[in-house]
Amino acid sequence: MDALLDITDLSVSYGPFHALGPVSLTVGAGEIVSIIGANGAGKSSLMKAIVGQAGRSEGKIVFEGEDITARTTAQIARAGIALVPEGRRLFPSLTVEENLRIGWEVGRQGAFGFDEIYALFPALAERRTLHVRHLSGGQQQMVALGRGLLANPKLLLCDEISLGLAPVVIADLYRIIPEIRDRGIGIVIVEQDITRSLAVADRFYCLLEGRVNLSGRPTNTNRDEVARHYFGM
Amino acid sequence: MGELANQIVQGVLVGGLYAMYAMGLSLSVGVMRFVNIAHGDLIVLFSFLILALIHATGIGALPATLMTLPIAFVGGYFLQRFLLQRVLGQGVLPIILVTFGLSIIIQNGLLGTFGADTRRVSGGGFETATLRIGGGINIGVLPLTIFIVAILMVLALDWLLYRTRLGARIRAVSDDPATANLVGLPSARVYATAMGIVGVTIAISAGFMSIWTNFDPTAGPSRLLIAFEAVVLGGLGSLWGTLVGGIILGVAQALGAQIDVSWQLLAGHIVFLVIFLARPEGLFPKY
Repeated sequence: MDALLDITDLSVSYGPFHALGPVSLTVGAGEIVSIIGANGAGKSSLMKAIVGQAGRSEGKIVFEGEDITARTTAQIARAGIALVPEGRRLFPSLTVEENLRIGWEVGRQGAFGFDEIYALFPALAERRTLHVRHLSGGQQQMVALGRGLLANPKLLLCDEISLGLAPVVIADLYRIIPEIRDRGIGIVIVEQDITRSLAVADRFYCLLEGRVNLSGRPTNTNRDEVARHYFGM
Repeated sequence: MGELANQIVQGVLVGGLYAMYAMGLSLSVGVMRFVNIAHGDLIVLFSFLILALIHATGIGALPATLMTLPIAFVGGYFLQRFLLQRVLGQGVLPIILVTFGLSIIIQNGLLGTFGADTRRVSGGGFETATLRIGGGINIGVLPLTIFIVAILMVLALDWLLYRTRLGARIRAVSDDPATANLVGLPSARVYATAMGIVGVTIAISAGFMSIWTNFDPTAGPSRLLIAFEAVVLGGLGSLWGTLVGGIILGVAQALGAQIDVSWQLLAGHIVFLVIFLARPEGLFPKY
């Protein structure tokens, strides 16, 4: 099977600071790939490079057989890659529904419509006319995820979606991730919480100082081995 | 007493014209977060364009103004897309320098093309018609029309920004251009559309200004100053605030002129400074 996303020798640097790479990795359709690594390992740089928002990147990023390395962020989004960014980054002066609508209008038509999103997140249905700044952190994360899903992407990138949320809310969000995968969408999850992240993943890559130092399937990998590579011991 | 009331009414009506100058600036400050130093010069540029259209074709001021609206939209769009957008997000200084340069280019271009003479466009008797409503108060038909159009413009822009899909997109890009790109909304094109709308407000105010007041190629900066004061008084991002800011300036000038003619402009600036010191965020701030 051809990979949905195929990254070859990708490096990212900010001025003299080398943040990532070279790394190579693949993500298939209907597959959850987890990227783990300590702070500064290059996880967020990887996410930003895929959507064309990294400072300076080298290497090749192929999505559905097409080279998207040189495309603009907006073009990459329209090609079918949605990033749920770290810190959620909603549009604060827009209502819940307006935030979702932005994702819907610029995206492709597909399985996810407003009804599906409100069914997945009933809390949002009751608050659709509220400005997002009045929502709790968990509800804001639901809007961010919903905005990404409404674009009906083929690849969904989730950057630290559990950051700062209550465990019960995190459990809720992670219950939904496999449902999304089962619709044939490729998913990349970046988390610092290894347990949570590996529990849901089909495959994982562990980053250390900008390079992949361990990869495989969570089911075939010993936890101690993951921890050793995570900390570089 | 009747005289004072009359002066206040005249001031309010002048405030309508000031608010009209300020509305486009209010949009570019509130939405795109930059001050266009050439805003006043663009108003004057369109006044000359309307004047030239009238001379060339013999049509009236109203159709001439209407003809410039699409030109203004397209002009604003491309000005943003190919000039201003290049320096946005690079700190406050580059955009000020670029629009300041644009201001100088427009002024000198107009001087070279039309000469330094003071001009005025004839409204065909429209500008001298007056309604007498008793109590010593006379209302000019032109100032009243301008005031009503200013209110309609606020209503229309408010509706556009808060009730339409385009408005939601403009506010989204205004909130966070990088995230807008991330969800597939090209921020540069949305900003260009917003500047096109600013252009339309510029052409409308140019049409009314050219009938009501004299203008010459160097008249832009004083319009910019008035517009900027109205925007700051009203509070950044609030269109209704901008209208109120314009009215406050108009009334202050009218009352200042009662003291002495030389106090007319000064009174406006003093009232601006006093309110600014007491409430630097403006009367109805959105941010």
